Amino acid sequence: MSILEIKHLTKYYGKARGIIDVSFSVEEGEIFGFIGPNGAGKSTTIRTLLSLIYPTSGSATIFGKDSIRYSAEIKKEIGYLPSEVFYYDNMRAIDLLKYSASFYKKDCSQRIKELAEILDLDLRRKIDDMSGGNRKKVGIIQGLLHYPKLIILDEPTGGLDPLMQQKFFDLLRAENQKGCTILFSSHILGEVQKLCKRVAIIKDGKIIKLENIADLTENTYKRIKIEALYPVMESFFQIPGVNQLTIDGCSISFIFKGNINTVLKKIADTEVRNIVIEDPTLEEIFMHFYDKEAGGGK
Amino acid sequence: MNIFYHECKALGKSTFFWTISLVLVAIVFLSLFPAFSKDAEATKRLLEGFPKEILKAMGLSLEIFFSILGYYSFVFVYIVLCGSIQAMNFGLSVLSKEVRDKTADFLLTKPIKRYQIMTAKLSAVVASLLLTNIFYVLFAYITISLLTKTAMNNHVFLLISFSLLFVQLLFFSLGVLVSVVVPKIKSVLTYSLAIVFGFFILDLFNEIIGENLVRYLIPFKYFDSLYIMNHCSYEMPFVILAITVFVAFISVSYVIYGKKDFLC
Repeated sequence: MSILEIKHLTKYYGKARGIIDVSFSVEEGEIFGFIGPNGAGKSTTIRTLLSLIYPTSGSATIFGKDSIRYSAEIKKEIGYLPSEVFYYDNMRAIDLLKYSASFYKKDCSQRIKELAEILDLDLRRKIDDMSGGNRKKVGIIQGLLHYPKLIILDEPTGGLDPLMQQKFFDLLRAENQKGCTILFSSHILGEVQKLCKRVAIIKDGKIIKLENIADLTENTYKRIKIEALYPVMESFFQIPGVNQLTIDGCSISFIFKGNINTVLKKIADTEVRNIVIEDPTLEEIFMHFYDKEAGGGK
Repeated sequence: MNIFYHECKALGKSTFFWTISLVLVAIVFLSLFPAFSKDAEATKRLLEGFPKEILKAMGLSLEIFFSILGYYSFVFVYIVLCGSIQAMNFGLSVLSKEVRDKTADFLLTKPIKRYQIMTAKLSAVVASLLLTNIFYVLFAYITISLLTKTAMNNHVFLLISFSLLFVQLLFFSLGVLVSVVVPKIKSVLTYSLAIVFGFFILDLFNEIIGENLVRYLIPFKYFDSLYIMNHCSYEMPFVILAITVFVAFISVSYVIYGKKDFLC
């Protein structure tokens, strides 16, 4: 069963483009990734689902109900974590969380304690005095405390250190194990690859691809920078999968898409002084791969 | 109910300070009354020398000025002015602060309809204004009783005093309307001072010119103290007008707020 179904959702802010004809659906029990560069329309889509903004045309159903009409009812079962969390001044974390819990007709105090322990957060502190990372934790607890069936996360990892991010992902996986569906928006491909099974890719307000993460991971994208001991012939690295190749004397740089072993063998044949292999930014991937696929349309 | 309590708490401090301020203004002004009435004759002669326009602008009328209620109604103009700023502030900020402080994402993603949020918030402000009025009237009454030995007409006193609440409700509804129409209010106080003083200056000019039609535009003039003292009641057409304006502003605000897009 589809927990979330988006049908031809379009939003214009006056004349400015928000999103155009966005359609996809998220199945029950799935962790669904929603990726795209900044300003592509991820937040617009999510805010429309939560009826923070109203669509120009199109619609969405959540739990089989229209997301605008039954908004209040649907939200009982939704946990939402925005990219930046802002809360009322002068409140302690526990007050804020109790206020949040008071909107759901459930006893959430046990769950709040439990989550605070996992995330290592002191609930008696004032939110004003907290660091960005700790505020984020308050946001995470706030999004999970009422045992939601659908968790919507809008770029949730900013401000969390890698260790906490790991804990957060574990927490999400545990929720997912219990049957919770998750919509996870991000502009960092690596993050989504770690967590999600399927992804929708959005660019310039349009969905350009729906993919299984397995297909995406098969094509690993790596930005590789090599400093060789001796100058290298340009033709040496011109193998399938190498893109945006620049060679400046001994410095070589390119983005590789495909089976990583093939390029590693090539590198092994080179005398290397230093090497950097990193995840390219989503923008880089979009620029060099999806541009052609979306624009060329063949 | 939870939003209502939360808002009441948030309003508590500023309600307290506004109430104290109004009470203090009343006490300070009223305590000058004995000195005033003592030198009644001298003062009368002095004031007679003033140009008529200025006297009119001050809301003075010589005959009633030296009675305690007359004096009170003169003081009351400034009480209403302060009270209006309070109401305007509350009206402007009660909804818009969620956008300004970016807490809208928190509140609007809760399982509750927008009109319920609005109702809870507006009720909290009305409760706060009611409290302000109750304390104000109480302290004003005590002050006057302590200052004068002769009894005053309590009915007239209450009618005048509670017109504070009605003018406040009008400014409050205007504030709410402005706050849902203007996309982003950066400084609430700038808006409320500009709007309230705008009306106040219009009121002063109107006093001098004496144009009757303009009166309908100025909330300060809906509940005229002179009329209240003479007739021991409010002017019905203006009461109806006040109710209509209030209901219209609040209803339109509900509609606009319900359809509004909350961008991050």
